[in-house]
Amino acid sequence: MTRPLLPVATFVLISVVALDGQAGPPQAGTPATIPPSVATAAEKIANDPQILTLLKEQSTDAAATARWNQFLELVRIPSPSRQEHLKAAEIHRRLVDEWGFARSEVMTRADGIIEASDTNIVDGLPVYNACVVIKGSYSGRADAQHYKGQFPKVLVEGHIDVVNPEELPKTGDPSIRIKLQPYAQPVVATPEELAAIPDELSFDARGRIVENDKYAMASKVFANAKEAEAGGGVRIYVPGYGDMMPSTSNAFVLAAAMKKHNIKPVYDIWICGTAGEEGKGNLAGMKQLYGFDQKAGTGSNPLNFVANFGLEGGGTVNFLGSYRFEMKFKAPLPRGGGKGPSAPEAMAAAIAKIADVKTPSELRDGAPRTTYTVGRASCEPPPAGGTVVPSCSLEVDMRSPRKETLDEIRNNIEPMFQAGASAENARYGRKDGSPEGITLELMWYGLRPAFVADSVDNVAVHAGLQSGIQLGVLTSPMVGTGSGSLNDNVPANTGIPTYQFTLASSAAGAGGHAFWEWGTRGAPATEVARMHRVLTAALIVSGFHAADGTVVPPTIGPIGKRTREVVR
Amino acid sequence: MKRLIFSLAFIVGVAAAGTPVFAQQSRGLRVEFQGPGGHSSGAYGRVSALHAAARAVLLIQQALPAGSYQITNLTGGNSVNSIASDGLIELKLTAANAAAYQKLVAAVTKAAAEGADAENKFRGVKAGDLTAGAPATVRSVVKPF
Repeated sequence: MTRPLLPVATFVLISVVALDGQAGPPQAGTPATIPPSVATAAEKIANDPQILTLLKEQSTDAAATARWNQFLELVRIPSPSRQEHLKAAEIHRRLVDEWGFARSEVMTRADGIIEASDTNIVDGLPVYNACVVIKGSYSGRADAQHYKGQFPKVLVEGHIDVVNPEELPKTGDPSIRIKLQPYAQPVVATPEELAAIPDELSFDARGRIVENDKYAMASKVFANAKEAEAGGGVRIYVPGYGDMMPSTSNAFVLAAAMKKHNIKPVYDIWICGTAGEEGKGNLAGMKQLYGFDQKAGTGSNPLNFVANFGLEGGGTVNFLGSYRFEMKFKAPLPRGGGKGPSAPEAMAAAIAKIADVKTPSELRDGAPRTTYTVGRASCEPPPAGGTVVPSCSLEVDMRSPRKETLDEIRNNIEPMFQAGASAENARYGRKDGSPEGITLELMWYGLRPAFVADSVDNVAVHAGLQSGIQLGVLTSPMVGTGSGSLNDNVPANTGIPTYQFTLASSAAGAGGHAFWEWGTRGAPATEVARMHRVLTAALIVSGFHAADGTVVPPTIGPIGKRTREVVR
Repeated sequence: MKRLIFSLAFIVGVAAAGTPVFAQQSRGLRVEFQGPGGHSSGAYGRVSALHAAARAVLLIQQALPAGSYQITNLTGGNSVNSIASDGLIELKLTAANAAAYQKLVAAVTKAAAEGADAENKFRGVKAGDLTAGAPATVRSVVKPF
């Protein structure tokens, strides 16, 4: 579907509104003020016998192997942004067949619909989230409050989409081949070098890992790259190793363990693998969950989430905004056999101009870190027998933590689309906008709304920090002052408290978003420690039925925030 | 870099070989760019193979006579939020004879290398540099098809 260029102006206004009203960010070193009740809850939950039994089981060699195998089996399922249905389907299947959930506890469907959401189609496509609920007790209370039928929920989420491959293969086995390379060899320089690596993991017809000698090689555990290099470690090349399937896979391990050990929250906890975090995904998965209308920049929070925990790491309260454009350069119809302006050359002119841009942070000391790239370009093939390319499209990403610098880079780059077309038209003496010239069309506009917190204090941050303090991984309640670009952008902009940590444990890794993305297995004990923290934090907010019969109450009221009312 | 230049020279030779010397030449050429790629924000500052390809197109415009080439494809990258690790220009060259064709191929090869060089220079990397263990530069190679 195409759109005329005019809506760009509308989107400018909308995005300005969405980014408006932001106060100054918390100063570096600002501590959160954690209420004593949160510290008490953290101590109670972290030491609860039910929790400790769950963690003891996860600490066994068998559980570590099961987690590792599950990760390898899930990460090989290709899951391009907006084409996550294969991975979502496998998660749905395992939830019911293997992880102990009833079908009624699986909250997402193969067709991408969540019935209670008012945002089931994003950018014209279904949303392939995979979510399961750990039922809480709250809805059974006589005085339970709800938002239009939805009782309060805490969301724990990580994305299931991956940058590579770009598209699902049209034919054949789509599974990704996981290559293994000793550290002694250099990192691959080309996709051909990667494909030529002889050692790879094997899977049976059911998609289960074959525990052969290569598996043993890949499964060695190391503390860091130096130890891996010295100890016979390998780089395990697979898209999603770093971003972010180990953490998301372990989220479902945690869900299954909570179910098995009958961990009982007060509010429901949803554990989700989300769609659309990468590429043109436009945070589709989170927009469905939070009913986020990207044109209006508002979220209805139709499922009534009261807090969000992301699993991609970060520990930040500020979130980078981004503008993304897909622009099409359309060639004029050939006339009289003569040469005319070329779509690929117009696009090349635009990209070359953009390639020379320096960002505010490159131009001025102290300016917020601002980035851009022309991430992808493609052309329609010439019709059979012809040589004229009908059209070419480019995709640009721009990011900055502040509205002012984000708009500065946008105002610098956006005119270059037309400048490329104009330059090509000028080479042939054609007027811009005439039928004989290159024309420009906006194909897609992506908005990842920025968020700059005016306070470090909310229930998600408190629970996230205090769980770390309780478990000894943090020594003070300091909030990171950096900015992330994460799923959290959506809940933050909808008014929902959010915090991030990770469930992954990698000894080393690199190449994220590139063909050479790789990782090396880290300590399983680290994963268990991180499960402990995530579990503690989520239960602090949701509330928890402790083993001694007492109830740790939720730290937030039952009605989540929203910036528009639900429409359903 | 030396190995790359020898490779390109070899390819140009192969491209010219086997074509009748005096007949008009009209053949396809692929110009491939390879870089490290990476996350658009996390790896910002790395070279882009797609940016290099676009730079090369403008240099091809300057180097080749009008009507001697037609670009039939310009592509690269895998997602909007990634620095492109690959770039590709496909073009059709038309020359009066094999010698002229060979000159066009040489000009395209030079433009491709200069496009890559310009991108490397803009981002301050040189041959032999590594980024997270991978080659930090964008490289070009020209192949007939």
